[in-house]
Amino acid sequence: MAMRNAYIDQFPEEARVIRAALWSSFLALMIGGTLGLIQGLHRTNVLRFIPSQDYYTVLTAHGVLLVITFTIFFLVGIFTWAVTTSLDRGVKDIRFTWGWYAMMSLGTLLVGVSILGGVVDQIPMNADVLYTFYSPFQAHPAFYVGFVLFVVGTWLAGFDWFRTWWAWKKDNPDERIPLPTFMALTTMLFWYLSSIGVAISILAFLLPWSLGIIDSVNPLLTRTLFWFFGHPVVYFWLMPAYMLWYTMLPKLSGGKLFSDPLARVVFVLFLILSTPVGIHHQYLDPGIAEGFKFIAMTNTMFLLLPSLLTAFTVVASMEHGARQRGGEGYLSWLKALPWRDPAFTGMALAGLMFAAGGFSGMINAGLSINYLVHNSWWVVGHFHLTVGTAVALTFMAASYWFIPQLTGKEIWNRSLGLVQVVLWFIGMTFMSNAMHRAGLFGIPRRTAEPQYEGFSFDPAVGTVAEIDAQVALGAALLTLSVYLFITNMVLTTIGGSTSDAIPDNTYAGTLSGPEDSPAIIDNLKLWTSIAVVLVIIAYSLPLASIIDAGGLFGPGIDPWKPSVVVDPSLVLESVRGVMP
Amino acid sequence: MRISKGGLLVIMAFLTPLIVELRTVLSWFGIRLSVVETGALGLALIVAVLIWAMWPSNGDTEAKLA
Repeated sequence: MAMRNAYIDQFPEEARVIRAALWSSFLALMIGGTLGLIQGLHRTNVLRFIPSQDYYTVLTAHGVLLVITFTIFFLVGIFTWAVTTSLDRGVKDIRFTWGWYAMMSLGTLLVGVSILGGVVDQIPMNADVLYTFYSPFQAHPAFYVGFVLFVVGTWLAGFDWFRTWWAWKKDNPDERIPLPTFMALTTMLFWYLSSIGVAISILAFLLPWSLGIIDSVNPLLTRTLFWFFGHPVVYFWLMPAYMLWYTMLPKLSGGKLFSDPLARVVFVLFLILSTPVGIHHQYLDPGIAEGFKFIAMTNTMFLLLPSLLTAFTVVASMEHGARQRGGEGYLSWLKALPWRDPAFTGMALAGLMFAAGGFSGMINAGLSINYLVHNSWWVVGHFHLTVGTAVALTFMAASYWFIPQLTGKEIWNRSLGLVQVVLWFIGMTFMSNAMHRAGLFGIPRRTAEPQYEGFSFDPAVGTVAEIDAQVALGAALLTLSVYLFITNMVLTTIGGSTSDAIPDNTYAGTLSGPEDSPAIIDNLKLWTSIAVVLVIIAYSLPLASIIDAGGLFGPGIDPWKPSVVVDPSLVLESVRGVMP
Repeated sequence: MRISKGGLLVIMAFLTPLIVELRTVLSWFGIRLSVVETGALGLALIVAVLIWAMWPSNGDTEAKLA
């Protein structure tokens, strides 16, 4: 009998870390998903068992746990797989790898406990600041410290992958960077660049403000620094999903990736364009000139290009796979795809929904039409299609392939897995459609009770009650899907039997390989330099203008004469004051 | 069956956005469907797809489609 060659057999030490990261991710998904159902039922007035003021604690936890913890823990696990598999070598020092995982976990714990303090009286903390935690909302210092630890953990993870690649490069000086590693490294480069914004926002302003070291901050400045990071983080979640579409979907379809060079171009475009776009979240902020907003819109629209290239390349690869499996005709080849496989079906449906999310994203990104939907439920519908489906459903679907690779065990129930991914697609259809429709008629987001007294919304189609019912139904189906997923993963991991039939740990081959593209595409220094220049062009004048108009710490406040900083004992007293 | 059970499940799922969005699209043409009417239309579509999927496949028809 042939020897099994799963990831756990090739890299047993790394498999342990990736398992830990994926389980941290799944735990966040389960808690965050449950909180989403509580929110959905409360807002739609179907079932209310929390006071409305606690809605905002639940909303903060739902946002942070799902869009930060769930996605990024999964990312670090999958990128570790990508780098080690494609370079065919383990990480340089596994203790370092466990170190960044521990740092991210500690950060998550601090953030989680500080948010939990909003509903548990015994925890003397509060962080009801929502996922977009800019001022004037103020959180307990533990929230900011936890966030910093988490982000620094991801920086160290990136360093881990870079030095693994440097070691490989020394042994293979003339080789092109293998595609999965190229994807992980380019993603990390724009993450380093963009997360500087949130680091400055927290370390220079929000944390000292929360500790009482400074009296005030400039809200527009902290908002702008947040969105400097807040939009690129969207691509940080999305890039592992893209990587899986490029490297796994063609393989699961039974074929090869249509074009390796196109895939590289896509990731280079994301490296260049991800960061200088954040101001498109601030179209309604009065302190930023329209011209700067126009630049942000232009950069954002350019980002459609890599997404359209991805749609073309991935669908072409799937068609190639289907034809290898005997598929024929203009459209009949679709029938030859492996629809019984939850990993394939989940990723394919996620990609389909991402197209819908891309279209609604174009509305968000348009400077003038954004006014129609700004801060409405439309936006929530949009990002539940992108991060909530393109990313989340891809990650869940991919787990049906990865967990056997990491445990050596067969999936407990693959049919249940298929039902689970389909259920997510149906639930999200109901929920996001209703949210988009609601937003078009001005129903706001981020509120526990959108039905203001003496005022009613008038949707063009149906009624608000129907929209609410559709959201509640969608939320219930999505939560059920999460629980089916977790059940399958738990029973696979603790109850499944070890199998020799796990497929080999490989990723898709290519129809057109890296040799078909110029070597300059692998010049990471060049693309990073261009990205930095674009960020300087997009942000230097707006930031200078914001600081000029409102000061670093608020209008009329002299930052260089803070009353407390001059006396260290007062600083200590101030820190003690916020400690539990 | 013309398609696999997995494929049929995915087609049924794909009908959900079609039915849900169809109601909105029809409203732009002045055709307003109630929830019950939308449900009935959806059911009819599902039955039609099931009949198509279960009907014994015809080689000639398949060839024409191809």
